[in-house]
Amino acid sequence: MTETEAPKIEEKSTIAKLPILAALVALAGIADAIFLTVHHYNAEPVPCGGPFDCEMVLSSPYSTLSGFVGNVPVIGDMPLSIFGAVAYFIAFCFAILAAFGDRRTWPLFGVQSTLMATFACYLFYLQSVVIRAYCQWCLISAGISAALFIIFIISIFVKRRTA
Amino acid sequence: MNEAKVKSNTPLLIIGAVLMLAVGGGLWFYSSSKPLKTGVSPTPTPTQQKTIPADAPKGAEPPNQAGGPTAEVTLEEFADFQCPQCGAKHPIMSEIKSTYGSRIRVIYRNYPLPQHDKSYAAAVAAEAAGLQGKFWEMQNLLFSNQQAWTANPAYKGVWKGYAQKIGLNVDKWETDIAGTVAKLRVDADLARVKGVGVGSTPTLYLNGKEVAFPGLNVDSLKRLIDAELQKAAPQSQTAP
Repeated sequence: MTETEAPKIEEKSTIAKLPILAALVALAGIADAIFLTVHHYNAEPVPCGGPFDCEMVLSSPYSTLSGFVGNVPVIGDMPLSIFGAVAYFIAFCFAILAAFGDRRTWPLFGVQSTLMATFACYLFYLQSVVIRAYCQWCLISAGISAALFIIFIISIFVKRRTA
Repeated sequence: MNEAKVKSNTPLLIIGAVLMLAVGGGLWFYSSSKPLKTGVSPTPTPTQQKTIPADAPKGAEPPNQAGGPTAEVTLEEFADFQCPQCGAKHPIMSEIKSTYGSRIRVIYRNYPLPQHDKSYAAAVAAEAAGLQGKFWEMQNLLFSNQQAWTANPAYKGVWKGYAQKIGLNVDKWETDIAGTVAKLRVDADLARVKGVGVGSTPTLYLNGKEVAFPGLNVDSLKRLIDAELQKAAPQSQTAP
């Protein structure tokens, strides 16, 4: 092995680890979103305690999506968490494909994680300013979205440093 | 070989496995945590024996009540027309009312949550229907069709349709909505909410004791009511 080959190997190794980490974090997001979705459809309150008021957040109109054409409901009372589960799954797919060498999917993961982190900021704003109550499971989801975005940002810096 | 190409089917297998686990796990969790409509289910217990303080405001008088006005057992519900959990539990309350008839007294209290944009208006609309003796009919339509109006910008037109459906004098109903009597009734219920210390919706009180919301279903609520009826029975017999 020559001295010039060493950084390339290091880069390849680091880049591969970050998508795997991202995939694992996205799995946690899927679990959290499914947990909230199931509780929504079972009409059961989620475990909640301390300074949190999950019921206040999860029974607010911002926790569901409804679409109407005139007076006819097209999407009726779909919990946001179900869209969250799909978003985390898409992020997971991009990350796992990138981890196994498909480099094209990592920028897509970047776009996905940026959109998710932006939406998480909006949801945090709703909790803190509009609803004035926090749900721990929603905050966990926001943290996971932020973590995915941070992982992507780190990957950019690692790539630049090793280039 | 192109590096960008995925070298094996392993990632696709992982993705497929995760998808199956997520869907399967979600369905399993749903079926295992879903409260049973029939069969043996855990009996809800009064939450930390939280009771209604004696000095709590009375709320709207007379209250919106169904069943026997002098029944020994009173089930008081604090609910919000726009709260999904309240809508989900509405069939339970309807079944309880029809099962027990005049043996119990069921009271509905308005607790429009501040974060629900149409809740207060819905409570006023129901109270305005109550001024024509049709509170429960309007309450039933608002809960049963909750999804049809909660996010509908033309919700007032939807409610007007309900008013026509239950045979209200719609002009009077609209006048009452704009007036103060119906609003004062909602405000009186809200004062009771504050005095009782109700923290969320729906909240039920059975003979003044809070009933735990988790696991609440028809059977478990019936067991609690039956126990209260049994407790009340000897007192009725010994009463002069």
